[in-house]
Amino acid sequence: MSSIQINSVTKRFGDFTAVDDLSLDIQEGEFVALLGPSGCGKTTTMNMIAGLEDTSEGSILFDGQDLSKTRIQDRNIGFVFQNYAIFTHLSVYKNLSYGLEVKKISKSEVDRRVRAMADRMSITHRLDQPASSLSVNEMQKLAIGRSAIVEPRIFLLDEPLSNLDAGFRAYMRAELKVLQHEFGQTMIYVTHDQIEAMSLADKIAIIDQGKLMQYGSPLDIYNSPDNRFVANFIGSPRMNLIDGEIREETSQLKLMVRGGAEIPLQGQVKSDFTSDGRVHSGSFGIRPQDIYFGDKRSTKDIEMHGTVEVLERVGPKRIVHLQVLETSFIAFDDQDQLKLGDEVPFFMPPDKSMAFDVVSGRRLGVV
Amino acid sequence: MTDTTKQPANARIEPSKQGYWAGVARDGNKMGFWFVLPTLLLLLFIVIFPLLMQLYLSVTWWTPLEGIPWYRAWEVFSWGENYWFQLTDPRVWGALWRTILIMIIAVPAQFFLGMALAYLFMDNFPGRKVFYSIMLTPMMIVPAVVGLMFFLLFQGTGPVNAHLGLPSTFSWLTDVNRAMISVIIADVWQWTPLMFLILLAGMLGVPSDQLLAARLLGGSNWQNFLKIILPRMKAVIIIALVLRAVECFKIFDLIFIMTKGGPGVQTETISLFLYKQTFGEFEWSYVAAIGLTILFVLSLIAAKGLAYMAKKNG
Amino acid sequence: MKASPSAVALKYFFVLLASAVVLYPLLWMVTMAFKPHPEWTTVAGLTWFPQNPTLQNFEFIFYGEAEGLVVSLDRTISGPLFASLVTSICGTLLAVVTGTLSSYAVVRFGLAKTLPLSVLQLRLFPPLAVMIPVMVMWAFLGAVDTWWGLSLIYGIVTLPFAFWLMKTFFEEVPVEIEDAARVAGCSYWRVFYRITLPIVKPGLATCALFVFILNWSDYLLALLLTQKEWVTLPVYMATLTSAMGGQMYGMKAALGVIAAIPPVIFGLMIQKHLVRGLTFGALKQ
Repeated sequence: MSSIQINSVTKRFGDFTAVDDLSLDIQEGEFVALLGPSGCGKTTTMNMIAGLEDTSEGSILFDGQDLSKTRIQDRNIGFVFQNYAIFTHLSVYKNLSYGLEVKKISKSEVDRRVRAMADRMSITHRLDQPASSLSVNEMQKLAIGRSAIVEPRIFLLDEPLSNLDAGFRAYMRAELKVLQHEFGQTMIYVTHDQIEAMSLADKIAIIDQGKLMQYGSPLDIYNSPDNRFVANFIGSPRMNLIDGEIREETSQLKLMVRGGAEIPLQGQVKSDFTSDGRVHSGSFGIRPQDIYFGDKRSTKDIEMHGTVEVLERVGPKRIVHLQVLETSFIAFDDQDQLKLGDEVPFFMPPDKSMAFDVVSGRRLGVV
Repeated sequence: MTDTTKQPANARIEPSKQGYWAGVARDGNKMGFWFVLPTLLLLLFIVIFPLLMQLYLSVTWWTPLEGIPWYRAWEVFSWGENYWFQLTDPRVWGALWRTILIMIIAVPAQFFLGMALAYLFMDNFPGRKVFYSIMLTPMMIVPAVVGLMFFLLFQGTGPVNAHLGLPSTFSWLTDVNRAMISVIIADVWQWTPLMFLILLAGMLGVPSDQLLAARLLGGSNWQNFLKIILPRMKAVIIIALVLRAVECFKIFDLIFIMTKGGPGVQTETISLFLYKQTFGEFEWSYVAAIGLTILFVLSLIAAKGLAYMAKKNG
Repeated sequence: MKASPSAVALKYFFVLLASAVVLYPLLWMVTMAFKPHPEWTTVAGLTWFPQNPTLQNFEFIFYGEAEGLVVSLDRTISGPLFASLVTSICGTLLAVVTGTLSSYAVVRFGLAKTLPLSVLQLRLFPPLAVMIPVMVMWAFLGAVDTWWGLSLIYGIVTLPFAFWLMKTFFEEVPVEIEDAARVAGCSYWRVFYRITLPIVKPGLATCALFVFILNWSDYLLALLLTQKEWVTLPVYMATLTSAMGGQMYGMKAALGVIAAIPPVIFGLMIQKHLVRGLTFGALKQ
């Protein structure tokens, strides 16, 4: 079980920078998700941790040790591939025992541990069968078991659940969490699926275009996104992000949106913007869940009026698309009161709404 | 030929299930019949007819020196005398033994060298393509020319002796023991690249992510080679070995040019023995008999082998 | 993931060693082709590169005589060279055409399921075991020492290779393409000729070159079935001795070089595709 320190790691392939000055501090036993859109560099980062790629700059330390000179086979790093990379020419037993056999562990000990792992992964009944005959779900379990059995110092998983059917995915998520606690393993999990990341990880590192966008617990990331990208990426349905210009009018900061809508800003934006009297581009963000209808609950809440353009039913809930001039807001209609074409007031609490600088993406008004 | 509008638009041509001739009546198969016809005719010409002729000749004493044309060979009928004779002919057994000796030395040598080379070439390295082409050259050289090359090399006054510091009287090709060695070396030189080619292709066919997974699990290069690469190469290895063994059995050009089977009969393999019988002694009916025996034995082995393979593949 | 410098050095050592072993005999023969008579043996000391390089050997085989040489040939290389070319090309044509047609029939029409294996069996036997009847037949047909006699046997003997190679190539052509053409109204021949063949063109080229190499490299069949007029290059090369000139190493080397060039060039051209054919499609490329 290791802690991992990623220190200012950069990776270049020719002219292309896949990972740009990335730093992460992962504690022993933590479950960290590397989350980001396709091509953001998360897999490259993982490969560097595993030693499959060298860093162009920076270092990766395991419990303070630099392993870059150590051969891959000596690093004792568990790795679960996206396509499992099961040894299809061997039996399930032999797949599990591979890591142990190459360490020349005694046959009886190997047998004991293989059977224990097979039991824990519920594939004991398949032990003597060729690994190629397994179902996808069973292969997944075998892949994890095969890596876990050698008790590696860390566990790297490359989008392991993306090939599974939805029902099994939920099951495996729970399984993984249990396993992680049991083994006490440090796990690094690459995914583009935020639900997986949010439900599994202790900490999430959001990566976009090789750069670290934010690193924190799921709750932190959800409630206090550091920048516009994170705010946009996390949350389903997505956060409402309205772009416009921030101007001061009659000592009131407003976000002027194209098409005429105005959103009054309050505590979200610090005064450093108003001091030079210039116009700044900004984004206003609020999650659909936080917009409410009916009676205004607090005088500080932002009030706006809009027309109901679209009503979507999603399971037990209804999603409302509210049109304010040329801008659209998405919200939930919990009371099932609204009808198409209604002109309604809606309210946005200031402590749930955020403003972002469009150019840098940074959240404004963060202390 | 007929066109297909008579058949339903999306009909697929089914392989003839009732046997070879049953499908001929149907459209597509009729076309196919014309396609196969030339090959069948050639086969008939070169397999059936000569086989019958060979059978015919083998039970006579006929030689071209007899003065009678072959179809009158019945005039010198001999029954099974030729067959009997070959069983007790020491020269036959000697030739057979020498052929097998060459096979059991040369083929494994080529295999292991080829495997070692394939392992060397498995990972990319600068210049790999160029060296790869170089390594393939020997098998592309005309065998007779290979024979010439090693003939030149192993001359008493040739470079081998000079490089090894041996006197020019030290002979390779005319020495009772060393002639065989020279021949084997030449064969290994020529055909190791073929093994290399086939085995390398097999090696590269192993999925790289499985190899990676094996390494991450702690397997060293050697362990991975034994447990992952080698087992997955089984089919290719068998093909390579069988291919080479069969060709090695037939070896002729090389030996003929290097030693002509000599000194004496030291390098006389089956093919060379048959050649000498054909153009030296002109015992054609005897050669016919031996030929048929070889045919029979080899066909038996091949049939057994195919049955075995069919069983393994389910 | 870097290899240690010592591992890299070791790898290059073996690769270079192997290359040296491969090139050694070749180099000796090539340099021999340019050596004058006195340098043919090591009696005067071993010379790797000719000290007095000469084109004498080549002159000799092309013109039948050369300066400074007492002996002369009664036939030059032009005959055998021509013979090799003609018989190889004709044999190749025969093998490729029949092999292509029949392998297509087997792959698409499912005919003659036993053909692949029986065709393979042809290669199993030592030629000399079955050549007696062939020699008798050829003599009977007056085909001995003729271009067509030799071409015919060449075509037959290399037919299995053409068959197997084209079979693997045809198996990779998706049936859907041909089905689409047939649905559009093409006859089977049209589909084959206008759709399938163009798709396998590179495979066809590989096959033709490969078969050509085999025919060109033949020694035994030419030895048995030709006497004088249509002797091919390899046979001619082997018989180049004279009472006066002895073994004529230089000339033989020159002939060897000339004979070896076409297969090497063609071989290098098709080396990528060789694998597929040689493993009988056991590997999915």
